[in-house]
Amino acid sequence: MSENIKTVQNDFDFIDINSIQAEKITAPRYSYWASVFRVFFKKKINILLILLFVLLIACSFIIPAIIPYNSYENVTDAKTYNLTPGAAMEYFGGGFNLKWILGTGGQGNSIFAGIWASARTSLLLAVICAAINMTVGIVVGAIWGYSKRLDQILLMLYNTIANVPYILLISVLVYIIGSGFWSFVFALTVTGWLSIAYFFRTQVMIIRDREYSLASRCLGTPINRMISKNMLPFLTSVIVTFLATELPSYISMEVFLSYIGIGLSAEVPSLGKMIQEAQGVFMNYWWEFWPPVIIAAAITIILYVLGQNLADATDPRTHM
Amino acid sequence: MKKYLGKRILLSILSLIIVVGTVMLLVFTVINRNVIFQMDDTWNKKSNNDRIYYEYTMYSKYGYLDFTDYSNFLKNKYEPLYGSEYTKNADYKADKAAIQDENTYLENASVQEFIAQNEEKGFKATYVAPARAKSGKVKTGGNAYLLAVHEKSVFTRLWDYFTHLITLETTRDVTDPALTERYIRLEKDPYSGFYALVGSGTTHKYLLYVDGRFPFIHQNFLHLNIGTSYTRYRGQEITDVIHRPVGDQVKLKSQYPAKLGTDEYTETAIDFHSLTYNYNPRTASEEKQFPDQYTNYSYNYGGLSMIENSFVMGLIATLIAYLLGLPLGILMSRYKDGLFDKLGNAYIIFIMAVPPLAYIFLFASAGTSLLHLPYKFANAQVKITAYVLPIISMALPSIGGLMKWMRRYMIDQMNSDYVKFARAEGLSEREIYRKHISPNAMIYLVHGIPANILGCLVGAIVTERVYSVPGVGNLLTTALAGHDNGIIVACTLFYTTLSLISVILGDLLLAKKDPRISLTTSKGGGR
Repeated sequence: MSENIKTVQNDFDFIDINSIQAEKITAPRYSYWASVFRVFFKKKINILLILLFVLLIACSFIIPAIIPYNSYENVTDAKTYNLTPGAAMEYFGGGFNLKWILGTGGQGNSIFAGIWASARTSLLLAVICAAINMTVGIVVGAIWGYSKRLDQILLMLYNTIANVPYILLISVLVYIIGSGFWSFVFALTVTGWLSIAYFFRTQVMIIRDREYSLASRCLGTPINRMISKNMLPFLTSVIVTFLATELPSYISMEVFLSYIGIGLSAEVPSLGKMIQEAQGVFMNYWWEFWPPVIIAAAITIILYVLGQNLADATDPRTHM
Repeated sequence: MKKYLGKRILLSILSLIIVVGTVMLLVFTVINRNVIFQMDDTWNKKSNNDRIYYEYTMYSKYGYLDFTDYSNFLKNKYEPLYGSEYTKNADYKADKAAIQDENTYLENASVQEFIAQNEEKGFKATYVAPARAKSGKVKTGGNAYLLAVHEKSVFTRLWDYFTHLITLETTRDVTDPALTERYIRLEKDPYSGFYALVGSGTTHKYLLYVDGRFPFIHQNFLHLNIGTSYTRYRGQEITDVIHRPVGDQVKLKSQYPAKLGTDEYTETAIDFHSLTYNYNPRTASEEKQFPDQYTNYSYNYGGLSMIENSFVMGLIATLIAYLLGLPLGILMSRYKDGLFDKLGNAYIIFIMAVPPLAYIFLFASAGTSLLHLPYKFANAQVKITAYVLPIISMALPSIGGLMKWMRRYMIDQMNSDYVKFARAEGLSEREIYRKHISPNAMIYLVHGIPANILGCLVGAIVTERVYSVPGVGNLLTTALAGHDNGIIVACTLFYTTLSLISVILGDLLLAKKDPRISLTTSKGGGR
């Protein structure tokens, strides 16, 4: 019996206590972004939506390059006006023809080429405006939330501007500075960042006064580390949620402004203008009206749903 | 509380002035001012110098500048000397003709006097040289003009605008020396059979009266003058534009004021309550119809006014939205993750993501093809059916928004301690939802109610445009397209005032609904 114990004892080696190893926490490896994408792709609808979105982007950048859009190309030939898809393909040489697959508009323009050229404008507009507004908004909002001296001044500015209806502000601005692509971007961004900044000011203020922030400040954490480690992770899901509503809203705004007649100028193809041109005849010439509407709706719905789902995935509480 | 409210109102007025001032500054300095003539027929018909003169009269009418005319100066100079026959005087004729020669006009004594007199007042003399053809002959409308112009600064405009915003009628309004009697008194009103306040010396004859039209009691004491339309409703006051019924004139059997008491009745659309003072002497026919100088009138129109159209539709849509949206939101939270919740969420995503224009057209085409409802407002056989589709188009998006927020707030409240406590007490789920969660979730939504109701006064831009509703929704947008600066400024004032009022009312309502919220103290949660 005692011999047995001895042999067992001989099978083992004593090892020294490793103080470095003892400090390690044996939790499962956690990577924030890996978890975000794991949760995001677990929903199969997101993969489908991403594929659709990539297809939309590809179409709106490749098709205008292959089939250039010129709304006046057939303006001298009245016979080409308002042709149904079938009649248009018949008129332009017969047989299958991608350019005329959606018929012609009120000036003999190709609807198919038109919607993709317009979709490109809309996407560019949305991305540029969102990039400017979100960047300026978040940076100013962060400083605004942190600096108490700036708070008074910016609050006055915000209270004055926020009381003005947004539609009024945008439309008067577009009226005053003209309606080119870049003046449109200017109108949408000149005050657009303010509401975003105000929102992030409140968010930053909330985190600024949380106990863990207070603790790290007491421990002497430098401000850039406070921002990158204490605040940004908390703000990521809020930023994405915001982006999810911001991006489609610029597309809707362009459609709306062009519809009421103060949108982009005549040279820039846009979905709003196509809808505006066809809305008077939408009962008779359905092929002129519904394609731009469907494309606009498709872009906004895809962006919105993808954004919402990404925002859900960026919330660490969904990772467990 | 009163002090707080006073401060809020004062700040709101300040921000209103800043906003209107900024818009005025931009609209009147950045925009080229002659765009207002783009669609002006009178301007198109005039040529050369007549056109320039017409432009000056219009600029002066719309407050860009003040100007006096040389011929006016001559009239004032010679009329006292030679009476009403002054135009036949040789000196007058010589002075008048002097400006037609661009080389020698400055040598004329009257011209020099005119220039000196006006430059003293700060007016700048502007000479419009005669437009001559190559032969030296003056072209049509090419006669020379001599003007003294004073450009108004935007600050003067702003000051004028706000000081003339509200005017009160007094018995000293009519400056006609021929008027001897000045009074305001209660008289029996022969048109309503009731009593009315009648004035003499005031601009309007009837100051307070009763008639059969909503809101039944009308006043002419206070006038809100938010501006004059430039291009779209040529020179009409904007308050009149949005207030006058848009239907046809309605003829009634009535009597002219001078014929009262006789049995002479006339079939007329004249609204005799609208009589205003006329400075011109009465014509022979007017002598027979009117006993006094109050001979200007407007007409009776049928139907609703622009603002009434928008308000009635908006209000019904808002009511429907609250009556349906809130219960649906509650139901969605009650059966969270169930089929009903999923359907509701799909609807919310649809409303949030699709451009409003797209779904309004979808409703329009579905309503016209499936329900056979009229599409364009003007084409409706039965007027009431024309309201159905616009109201649906306005209500459905609001329902989506309310559902979304009600569901969100209900779910947020569902895990609160007071709900767990109520459940522990053994209350039924129905009671917990009705008496505990819903009132607490409503707190967040109460703030938007004034904005939604007052927002109806602004109208719905897209809906009204799609269905061609004669409402106020497109006042601003058509003004922007037609360069109607008067309406743009008026709309800025109107929209901003409404939005300021609704924020204050929303805050008050919120504080009333939730006693925990205090508006006055900055302590406790105030960031």
